[in-house]
Amino acid sequence: MPTLEICHLYPDILNLYGDRGNIISLKMRSLWRGIDVNIHNVSPGDAFYPELYDIVFMGGGQDYEQQIIHEDIVKVKGEAIKEAIENNTVFLCICGGFQVLGKYYKSSDGKETEFLGAIDLWTIGEKKRLAGNIVVELNLEMHGKDTRVAGFENHAGRTYLGKDVKPLGKVLTGYGNNGIDGFEGAVYKNTYCTYLHGSLLPKNPDFADYLLEAALKKKYGGEFSKLFEIDDTLEKLAHDTVINRLLKGLKHKNK
Amino acid sequence: MLFTLAMIAAKFLIWFLRFTGSGGTTLPGRLAAKIYPGILLRLSGKLNVILITGTNGKTTTGRIISRILEINDIPHLQNRSGANLKSGITTAFIEAASIRGNFSCIMAVIESDEAAFKTVAPLLSPKVIVVTNFFRDQLDRYGELLTTVQNVKTGISQCPNAVLVLNADDSLSSYIGREVPNKVIYYGIDGYNSSRSSADIAGADASNCIYCTEKYQYSARTYGHLGHFFCPGCGFKRPEASVACIGVNRLSLSGSDVALRFDEYEVNNSHSVQINLPGLYNVYNALAASACAKALGVPTGTIIDALGTFECGFGRMEIIEHEGRHIRLILIKNPTGFNQVIDYLFSEKKKMVIAFFINDNDADGTDISWLWDVDIELFRDLRNLVVRFYCGGIRAEDMAVRLKYAGIDPGLIFIEKNMKTIIEDSIRLLSEDETLFVLPTYTAMLEVRKLLGTEFNLKEFWK
Repeated sequence: MPTLEICHLYPDILNLYGDRGNIISLKMRSLWRGIDVNIHNVSPGDAFYPELYDIVFMGGGQDYEQQIIHEDIVKVKGEAIKEAIENNTVFLCICGGFQVLGKYYKSSDGKETEFLGAIDLWTIGEKKRLAGNIVVELNLEMHGKDTRVAGFENHAGRTYLGKDVKPLGKVLTGYGNNGIDGFEGAVYKNTYCTYLHGSLLPKNPDFADYLLEAALKKKYGGEFSKLFEIDDTLEKLAHDTVINRLLKGLKHKNK
Repeated sequence: MLFTLAMIAAKFLIWFLRFTGSGGTTLPGRLAAKIYPGILLRLSGKLNVILITGTNGKTTTGRIISRILEINDIPHLQNRSGANLKSGITTAFIEAASIRGNFSCIMAVIESDEAAFKTVAPLLSPKVIVVTNFFRDQLDRYGELLTTVQNVKTGISQCPNAVLVLNADDSLSSYIGREVPNKVIYYGIDGYNSSRSSADIAGADASNCIYCTEKYQYSARTYGHLGHFFCPGCGFKRPEASVACIGVNRLSLSGSDVALRFDEYEVNNSHSVQINLPGLYNVYNALAASACAKALGVPTGTIIDALGTFECGFGRMEIIEHEGRHIRLILIKNPTGFNQVIDYLFSEKKKMVIAFFINDNDADGTDISWLWDVDIELFRDLRNLVVRFYCGGIRAEDMAVRLKYAGIDPGLIFIEKNMKTIIEDSIRLLSEDETLFVLPTYTAMLEVRKLLGTEFNLKEFWK
């Protein structure tokens, strides 16, 4: 029986609004297909084994929480995390988790914090938060599956990508990375970064399956890399309802 | 002159809004402040103000305090639930005052939104400030939790004469108590340790020390991050509580039997008290109100009376019994509150039907990701009791997905966008041995109450 080893980085600290929904989604969608899942919760001070994990998830935190993990992720786990990213491990990093993979964060008062530098991107903090519902058209080969994902963003940081880093997708409605260039998130090797926090994967089941397939393909080659269809009626309903509502512009809020 | 004009205009508007049935509570205050900007300062200066803020339990705590004052024959005014921004608070004062700005009451029990507190507190110069707790709530509206804590601290620092009533078990509230020079009365729970494993509390909102970022250790926990915390890094720890729950004998749907200590210097200081409200979170609300009453010097016996005779208010567990049908209405608004409601459902022995109404309007929080922070998985352990789940409201589908991923059989989940249909169907199909739990977010509750009101003659909420 195939098994996925999923690492949840700092689950007790980077647990902003609903981030664990993504772990629940990856786990349930695997179990429903007879794929076993082991969740490894890795906190500051715990070892990170780059060769063990098939999927690594890191969520977002408030400034205070980001500060708590900063030293651990940059100084202690940094090299091991970079190794896993370079080695094509599937990463899903959201909001704060997205920013910390970049080179640095410069706050609105000019203070610069050094980050991991695993991916060529950087973030500038500004006073006004970019918050609201968002719909993104993924820049991924999804083989006819739905490439639109819906979620909620809430970030003060504006992220900019280096020239060799591709965005995850194009903003259809909302702000995205910086509210200017119309792009959202970042893709580097098998690492997927986004500002769509909380319940991203449950409501966007095709993207969840995309990540699972990428992990299975890397681990087992062709053998298990095609997931069979499961009943996604409720998920699709939630996905379509919110996207239709937002794209009609009925409820989208620009704060 | 302008003052009188402001009073007349606002009072007319209050009457007009009531007459048209909209029950609006912010417009009159806003209008009056436009005409006479100092109106809140001038009116509130004539009364002794008790100001309540914090994430959860403001309304219930305020209502218990009001009940205690009532038993002591102390006339007071109170702002309505939800009318807790500056304009709504102003409206409450205008409503109770004469056109000349005089009052027949002597106190005001005011709840303030945490974000508005900083502005409101200095205007009201409160005699007592009660802070219930700090949990994450609607980040899209309030911003980060620590910002909220700092805002409340800033507000308090402008009221140096106020007695503070703080939750000792909440590290964020205790932090404020250490940082300001005010007199503080702490309340807390001494005789209880949660049976839930610490893994369940993984989503705690303040797991690390606010001073040194070390992870807190606990010798006892109640829920969320509340408990007897202590920081191994810098030694910051839970302060002693002078008003405390020193024993929990029974927690149930109808209420709790607890032992309370109202005063650490009293000789026979353990009192058996019945709290006429369900759940541990209401033990905290009862303690907050009791500590506030002690700050006012009210006799202990009247506090005990009030706690035993208190009736639930607006959406905080309303009970409808009608022709053999049992309906309970409980507001859900953030993960901690929702988890408390689930805990409370575990004490239910009868079969239940559960109707969720999830909206994402401004007052609900526009981000519904918080549903994923709720321990919905616990509903699996109630599978022998829950007959059906209805999902309604603007975000009905999101709730349905949440239930599915919690391992609930999708065959038991019904999505229906029309609230009226859910209310009608669920009541029509309800048998006598089943209880219908209606769990709405804030704006959904306003709609649901209207629907139930037509059916069962519920009191209008501004009464």
